[in-house]
Amino acid sequence: MDQAVQIIIGGIVQGCVFALIALGLSLIYRVTGIINLAQGAFCIFGALLGYTFQVTFNWPMPLAILAAVAGTTVFGLVIARTTFVPGLAYLPNSSMLMLTAGLLTFIEGLTLVLWGSQPYATPTFSGERPLDIFGVLVPTQGLWIAGISAIVILATWFVMGRTALGKALAACAENPMAAQIMGIDVPRMTLMSYGISAMIAALGGIAVAPLMSFQFDTGSFFTNAGFIAVVVGGTSSFIGPVAGGLFLGVTEQLAAGYVSSLFADGVALGLLIITLLWRPQGLFAPRRARRHDVREDVRVHRAIVDFRGHGPALAGIALVIALAAIPWVINDGGLMSSLVITLILFISVLGLDVLMGYAGQVSLGQAAFMAIGGYTSAILATTYGVPPLAATSAGIALSLACALVLSLVTMRLRGAYLALATLAFGLLVDSLTVGLTDLTGGPSGLVGIPSFAIGPLVLASPTAMYFFTLALIVVIVLVLLGGMRSSFGRALQAIRTDQTAAAALGINVPAHKMAAFAIAAVLGSLSGSLYAFDFHFLSPEMVATPRSFELIAMLILGGDGTLIGGLIGAALITLLPTLFQPLALYKTLAEGAILVIVFRYLPEGLLGRGAWLVSRLAGALMETFAPTAAADKLP
Amino acid sequence: MNAPALTVDGFVKTFGGVHAVEDVSFTVADGSVAALIGPNGAGKTTLFNLITNFYPADAGQARFYGASLAGLAPEKIARLGLQRTFQTARVFPGMTTLDNVLAGAHRRVRSHGVRQMLWLPGARQEERELAAEAQALLDLVGLSAFSAAAATSLPMGAQKLVEVCRALMARPRMLLLDEPAAGLTDAETAEFASLLRAIRDNGITILVVEHNMSLVMDVADDVIVLDLGRLIARGAPAEVQRDARVVEAYLGAQME
Ligand SMILES: Nc1ncnc2c1ncn2[C@@H]1O[C@H](COP(=O)(O)OP(=O)(O)OP(=O)(O)O)[C@@H](O)[C@H]1O
Ligand SMILES: [Mg+2]
Repeated sequence: MDQAVQIIIGGIVQGCVFALIALGLSLIYRVTGIINLAQGAFCIFGALLGYTFQVTFNWPMPLAILAAVAGTTVFGLVIARTTFVPGLAYLPNSSMLMLTAGLLTFIEGLTLVLWGSQPYATPTFSGERPLDIFGVLVPTQGLWIAGISAIVILATWFVMGRTALGKALAACAENPMAAQIMGIDVPRMTLMSYGISAMIAALGGIAVAPLMSFQFDTGSFFTNAGFIAVVVGGTSSFIGPVAGGLFLGVTEQLAAGYVSSLFADGVALGLLIITLLWRPQGLFAPRRARRHDVREDVRVHRAIVDFRGHGPALAGIALVIALAAIPWVINDGGLMSSLVITLILFISVLGLDVLMGYAGQVSLGQAAFMAIGGYTSAILATTYGVPPLAATSAGIALSLACALVLSLVTMRLRGAYLALATLAFGLLVDSLTVGLTDLTGGPSGLVGIPSFAIGPLVLASPTAMYFFTLALIVVIVLVLLGGMRSSFGRALQAIRTDQTAAAALGINVPAHKMAAFAIAAVLGSLSGSLYAFDFHFLSPEMVATPRSFELIAMLILGGDGTLIGGLIGAALITLLPTLFQPLALYKTLAEGAILVIVFRYLPEGLLGRGAWLVSRLAGALMETFAPTAAADKLP
Repeated sequence: MNAPALTVDGFVKTFGGVHAVEDVSFTVADGSVAALIGPNGAGKTTLFNLITNFYPADAGQARFYGASLAGLAPEKIARLGLQRTFQTARVFPGMTTLDNVLAGAHRRVRSHGVRQMLWLPGARQEERELAAEAQALLDLVGLSAFSAAAATSLPMGAQKLVEVCRALMARPRMLLLDEPAAGLTDAETAEFASLLRAIRDNGITILVVEHNMSLVMDVADDVIVLDLGRLIARGAPAEVQRDARVVEAYLGAQME
């Protein structure tokens, strides 16, 4: 009995923090319709800032806390002012979601640069001695957390319900268009909500920091928990996310206390997936129609990059020849290995391009297919001695099955909801790779994976692997090119921007989405298997959710919807840290910055932008030498 | 006389309290051009959405050459050969004008996915033939110079023409056009009238929503008039024009 009370109290304490993050998430969601994945990063940023003020600068605790909260709020406002708010004006919801994924990565990278990768433990507010309440031991920090949460929740409730600011925010949540017409400055309100959310997150982070060890990437954990709490609780009422957070905290602690801590993650993700599919409006929300999302109408306009004709074909052949010549020019083993990894990751990016760039279905879970393929083939090859080729095929088959199930259950979800479901799928696979220790080796990974082999031909050296992967890529690109340039690819592109008009042309939208999902899964799985065989080692973080974000960064940096563009992205993101070792520290920061900047300023990617410049140049030359009247003939 | 191309049988649709379509029934004869007219908000677009099942009807159903369309998904209806266009042009952004038109051929393409991925000669050949056909259609509406341009960069009137070409690419048996000539100049509208006649002469039945009365009088064999969701008149253009209720509906709409 005592134990149960103890566990429940622990759950409530943890749930309070989840509730705070969920509160911030739902505040932004209600005003903008966007789940701000960067939310958890502000927790860590605030907590570490507090640590620096208190421990390093030796400031008195109340001052340190105040300064840290203020600093994080200002930081949040700057982020919102420069990226989030301007992006809302022209980006569709799914791109906004990925922008916030970029912000999460960016802030984590910044934290890594500023505070390093070691974990931090901050001192408790009032000593280590737990309080004895009727025989139940409660750490005083727990009381602090509960108290701070209660104050924040009450204050938010008061501001939202009783003040003019709250009324204005509610009006934005109800209908941004109408609010704008009524003279409410919607961008300003968005900025406010973002700042308040950052402040709440910082408070939560600072309060819970003494009970946890914090490091730069703990932010993702908080975002995930807060996100699950929001989905479970629903966003339509103020109390939903708070209830969701507490419910999640208690459920997780009970699962961890009575089953195992692995099970806690599983329970949380199970809750998430069930809610997303069964009651997308949240378990604690009244069952009523979701408000029509006004922003859904933002149309995706994109510059057209057309690679038809002899020029691009010749350029492609030249590129392949140049790539094939590289091993003769370079005899640096480390660089060669990085090149192999570039190519292997490019295969995964190719799959993502079909799914996201062509079919327009946002996936934040591409790395999960790498994990499924990688672990399946590695386990089969290492433990059961299955030949690599057969093991890889088995991985592909399993990934395909997962993709079909995933796309069947998510068929009705669109845009941001689909992205969130793929994120949940990725997180589920993450927790399995860490948790199924007997099978996967757990966090320390799987060692002794043999080299890839085709029958008796063993590809032991990086050079052999390089040629094999390059040949594979040439085949894959040709196949995809054939598909994308004909009716199949046109149907995918039609679905990307207008599913209604696509259906009006007789295009079977679900079947095409499923096909795109399948292609992404097969290529992701293949890439994951090759990765494991090439590295002779596979650990969860090599194929976890941050990798999914990285793959997206590669794709959009190079240019989505171009197939070949991803190669530029994969090369830049993989090779730069290898070539300039001191840069390795900045890798996460740079990836985040790339995601944000590309979404904000360069939606067509480097390749797209390059091709556009070339065609503009060619056009200008043509114009100079053979002026045409095409421009006047516009009807 | 063959079976009618389209039979609309007692459609009813309300949005909240608004009776958008109330018990509307009519037929469109095979091989004819029928015009659907009515003041703004009469329920014309809603009727299209009911026929193609983009909205479920509260009551009633449509039949296409005798076969009921009730409960069929929009893409199934399209694949039967009943193609529609939208009131606000819905060309696909990010695709060229030519690709937009080619997308319309989807239901006709014989060589699917895998064969296209393997660059099989048959599939490539089919692609080339379709591209030539799409180019010819664009030529017909005077847009061939813009086949490589982004479809969304065209003016609204041209985008609507692209949409008509896209629907034609499907080789439909019947076209439902929602204000296809909005945004065209008078001269272009006259050209468009002859395009409509050419389409009909190719055996494609047309039901067109149009506000431009001279176009309606010019091409329609049959005019159907809606007002406030009800069918208030139907008949030959000249007859309908003299109908007191039609005149009143239009004048009433103008007075408001
Ligand atoms: N999705 C919808 N939700 C609510 N009301 C709708 C919806 N679609 C149409 N309506 C209402 O139904 C009525 C008929 O609209 P509809 O668009 O069919 O008219 P219309 O004849 O096409 O008009 P217009 O000439 O302006 O295109 C209008 O009162 C409109 O407000
Ligand atoms: Mg209309």
